[in-house]
Amino acid sequence: MRRAPGVSGWRGADVLAYVLKRLLVALPTLVLVAASVFFLMRLIPGDPATVILGDAATPEAVADLRVAYGLDRPVLVQFALWVERALAGDLGRSITSGEAVGPLILARFQVTAAIVFASVGIAVLLAVPLGMLAAWKQNSWGDVAAVAAATFLLSIPSFWLGLIFLLVFGLWLGWVPVVGYVTFAEDVWGALHYIALPVVTLALIETGVLIRMARASTVEVLRLDYIAHARAKGVPEWRVLARHAFPNAFAPTLTLIGLIMGSLLGGIAVIETVFTLPGLGRLLVEAIFARDYPVIQGVMLFIAVIYVVVNLIVDLLYPVFDPRVTAG
Amino acid sequence: MRLRASFLALAASLGLGLATPAAAQDTLRIRLNADIRSTDPGVNRDANTDGLVWHVLEGLVALRGNATVAPMLAERVDVSADGLTYTFPLRRDVRFHNGQPLTSADVAFAMERYRKRETNWRCRGDLDGSVTRITAVETPDPHTVVMRLERPSALFLTTLARTDCGQTGIFHRDSLNADGSWRAPVGTGPFRLGEWRRGQFIELERFAEYAALPGEPDGLAGNKTPHVERVRFTIIPDDAAARAALLAGNIDILPDARTRDLRDLRARPGMTVHSSPSFDLQIILMQTTDPLLSDVRMRRAIALALDVPELVRALTEGGSRPSRAPIPVGSGFHTPLMSEVPARDLAAARRLAQEAGYRGQPIRIVTTRRYEAFYEIAVLAQDMLREAGINLELEVLEWATQLQRYTRGEYQMMAFGFSARLDPSLSFEMFTGPKATQPRKAWDNPRVQAMLEDSMRETDRARRIALFEGMFRQLMEDVPVIALYSSTNNAVTPAHVQGFRSWAVDAPRAWGVRLARR
Amino acid sequence: MRLRPNLLIGGTLLGFVFIVAATALVWTPYDPVRTNLRRRLVPPSSDYWLGTDEFGRDVASRLMEGAVTSLTVAASTVCVALVLGMAIGLAGGFLRGWTDRILGAVNDTLLAFPGILLALGLLAVLGPSRWGIVLALGLAYAPSVARVVRGTVLSIREREFVEASRALGNSEFYTLLRHVLPHTAAPVIVLATSLFGWIILSESALSFLGLGVPPPAATWGNMLASARPFMQDAPLLSIAPGVMIATCLLGVNLLGDALRDLLDPRDGA
Repeated sequence: MRRAPGVSGWRGADVLAYVLKRLLVALPTLVLVAASVFFLMRLIPGDPATVILGDAATPEAVADLRVAYGLDRPVLVQFALWVERALAGDLGRSITSGEAVGPLILARFQVTAAIVFASVGIAVLLAVPLGMLAAWKQNSWGDVAAVAAATFLLSIPSFWLGLIFLLVFGLWLGWVPVVGYVTFAEDVWGALHYIALPVVTLALIETGVLIRMARASTVEVLRLDYIAHARAKGVPEWRVLARHAFPNAFAPTLTLIGLIMGSLLGGIAVIETVFTLPGLGRLLVEAIFARDYPVIQGVMLFIAVIYVVVNLIVDLLYPVFDPRVTAG
Repeated sequence: MRLRASFLALAASLGLGLATPAAAQDTLRIRLNADIRSTDPGVNRDANTDGLVWHVLEGLVALRGNATVAPMLAERVDVSADGLTYTFPLRRDVRFHNGQPLTSADVAFAMERYRKRETNWRCRGDLDGSVTRITAVETPDPHTVVMRLERPSALFLTTLARTDCGQTGIFHRDSLNADGSWRAPVGTGPFRLGEWRRGQFIELERFAEYAALPGEPDGLAGNKTPHVERVRFTIIPDDAAARAALLAGNIDILPDARTRDLRDLRARPGMTVHSSPSFDLQIILMQTTDPLLSDVRMRRAIALALDVPELVRALTEGGSRPSRAPIPVGSGFHTPLMSEVPARDLAAARRLAQEAGYRGQPIRIVTTRRYEAFYEIAVLAQDMLREAGINLELEVLEWATQLQRYTRGEYQMMAFGFSARLDPSLSFEMFTGPKATQPRKAWDNPRVQAMLEDSMRETDRARRIALFEGMFRQLMEDVPVIALYSSTNNAVTPAHVQGFRSWAVDAPRAWGVRLARR
Repeated sequence: MRLRPNLLIGGTLLGFVFIVAATALVWTPYDPVRTNLRRRLVPPSSDYWLGTDEFGRDVASRLMEGAVTSLTVAASTVCVALVLGMAIGLAGGFLRGWTDRILGAVNDTLLAFPGILLALGLLAVLGPSRWGIVLALGLAYAPSVARVVRGTVLSIREREFVEASRALGNSEFYTLLRHVLPHTAAPVIVLATSLFGWIILSESALSFLGLGVPPPAATWGNMLASARPFMQDAPLLSIAPGVMIATCLLGVNLLGDALRDLLDPRDGA
């Protein structure tokens, strides 16, 4: 784990230097992602021309389409062209729909981001207090019950839980529409209706993960000497938990939240498919199945950037919660 | 329910209503299982694209429900005695969506774009090939189009009407950008294109000045009067979610219900299931260049070991008729001879496999889970062949990978499906041809190839049928493929949807449909 | 040592799952891949304890067979992820410098890769087989292991006993194996138990998208994925593998917690 400098909080100049250094260090990762995606996709059998032509793919028609999409050129030339345009901010056009890839990604990302931020927020609010309480009462039957509940939530596949919710709240109770989406910009209330179920589904599953993490790190912290000191001094128990244990126990949970956000923002294809949301994950999966190279490359690059940014933010927040962290 | 009502009341009072009720009243909402690829007819397309575009664009001719060809924008079609000149007098009452009247110049303009190589029109090769070649498109006057062919062709009009060719739809030149690229369709169809929100929905609006033909709707021909103000194709990829959407009243037409859901849907009050035989073909392909399968006895053994009627009954729950002929049961060219399905004979299958030197080595059958039927065919075939001592191994691939293997002929056996072929010659052509130049073809037999080309030029129906029966007999001898059945389209509508009918192609038609909500 | 509830319950649940799997190796009520078209979606009876699926296969037999496949796939995947992740993490944390930077970039690349793309790529290269899934998921989860191991290594590489080993003239490699490696055991074991559950679920999600362990072989994941269309008509079809997954994960996680407590050196104090 890379750790940010600073002993207790941040000084402005440090932050800027640190952020710049981190972004510089991230560059090779972005290049690696771009290159490996590009060449991996071309190793995978099937190409856009055969997918478009289906069962009527005459050799001539395939060749014509490959020319039309520039796939007849040597792979290295294709890659150089793509890099050149990407550096100029042009990610190309989707082979499937002809849309410009950049705006397409941003439009889809809005949907995914709304769901991910809402569900992670809810999950954190639920899981962190519960996890800490479980740790406080470690090894009690209540603790085991909390761990069991968390594990149970963890063991439910999201597509399964999603469909149950769809049947119960969409079909039987009729509280929310089963399909569709409107953006918040168009209609706030309507948008809430549409994202309610996917957010609850994801939040429940993330709660499972986070309860366990919060519990584990609180258990660690409660063993430390300074907690014993605080207790010995007669500090009330709730205050020990809230003021002394929480900041330290939250730090590792924060790392996990970062990892979860990163992986969710990059693809909640399954949830997006079940709830028919036009999100980034579905875009990627559909593009992979259609061998829509420009879209796959663009989305993957975008996901890599998201990873870098989310990790950076988490590391910047780290010292705020964990005073033990020193310059690394 | 009360909670929902108070939600809505709250929403309405805040001015945040989900949709204005009046607009919702007159919008026909149809499920689409994936977004369309473009609105460019027959170019960047798939079945969904074809099914959307036919609401907006019309061609000179169109398909009837029984796959025969009827005039559409043309008043009639006059064919010269030598079969080389087709004259299309245009209807005079037709207008484009932008108000301009249809003229022969528009037809010539559209045909020129289709015939250009750079357009990448799917059917360019079909109208500029050895069988059919257009030599000229002429416009003797504003209301007449004449097309000249190099040789007589039985396929010419069918090709023009094919849905995968975009019905060779006639578009106004405003459909193109200044640089000649496709912008959006300005056609003559009963609906005009409204908003297309990618990944979510495509909306069509009623074309008020649509010039409908008299009579009844018939396939893509006949009376196509639009009765609803708006049609919204809602994109719902997941089958279970689509079914829930229908039951929750979020869509009005589920055009492609799964076979396994039908029993339940039929039992629900108000729901109507509309079933129609399709013109596609579910099939098992065998690679005749494979060392083991190059022996015709081995291929016959496999065919004899399959209980085709049982397999088809299980797969379609009795919805489709088993048939070993590639010409669909619903076609006028499907003769009683082709309905004969040889009985299963395990003893003969064992003997033939033995003679072919088969010693129980695994034979790999390629399939996918993208289309459940392909997967189920492979699983059931594996099971049935095991009883004859033939060891099938499933190779379950992702769809694009399977397509590449198909295109290159890289398989031993493959569970596959051909999309609808509307002319019987094409039903054979789709798997017949020289492997040297077209590796995807399963049946490489020069004698059959000659018969096939004859059938494409022959315009006499009886002689064509004789050719098809001859090819069918040879097919049962050579067994390069095992045709199984044509699937059945099952659409489901609630009680307030009236006038909807399913048909041979699985994409729905929104004209002629009325909404009668309370 | 006091018997903790998590050790007791975890051990019992996991024991049950292993007994089911071990039984399946020698006996199942029916052939788990044998279809029977005349007996599709049969409700539970004395003949078919849990009924049959859409191909008329016995659900109980498939569940038992699925225990073997799911456990094998999950265990192999955990091994792949551990071996790869520990190699990257140890090398990066111990050698530092350029090695660390390069390995870090590779690690981040893998982290940013969605499992589905990896699975697709590897399935294309290896052909559809369970080992493609093992490798793909192993690669997808290795970076998490690497991160944890690297962090642990960084925190102990300057400790006295490591310095002492160097001072005695031991090679870096020997020091790494003998003195650093053992200290990564506790966090890695805890992580491995969590991975176990994630992998079973990931396989299920891949099956849902059509890329899981190739059918007709049964895994709990692909049973659950293919039971989804029948959730209303035959709920047992999804409940049965769902319960098995939950049982197994609960067992593994409780046991993991207990193990961590046992392995924690501070606990004895």
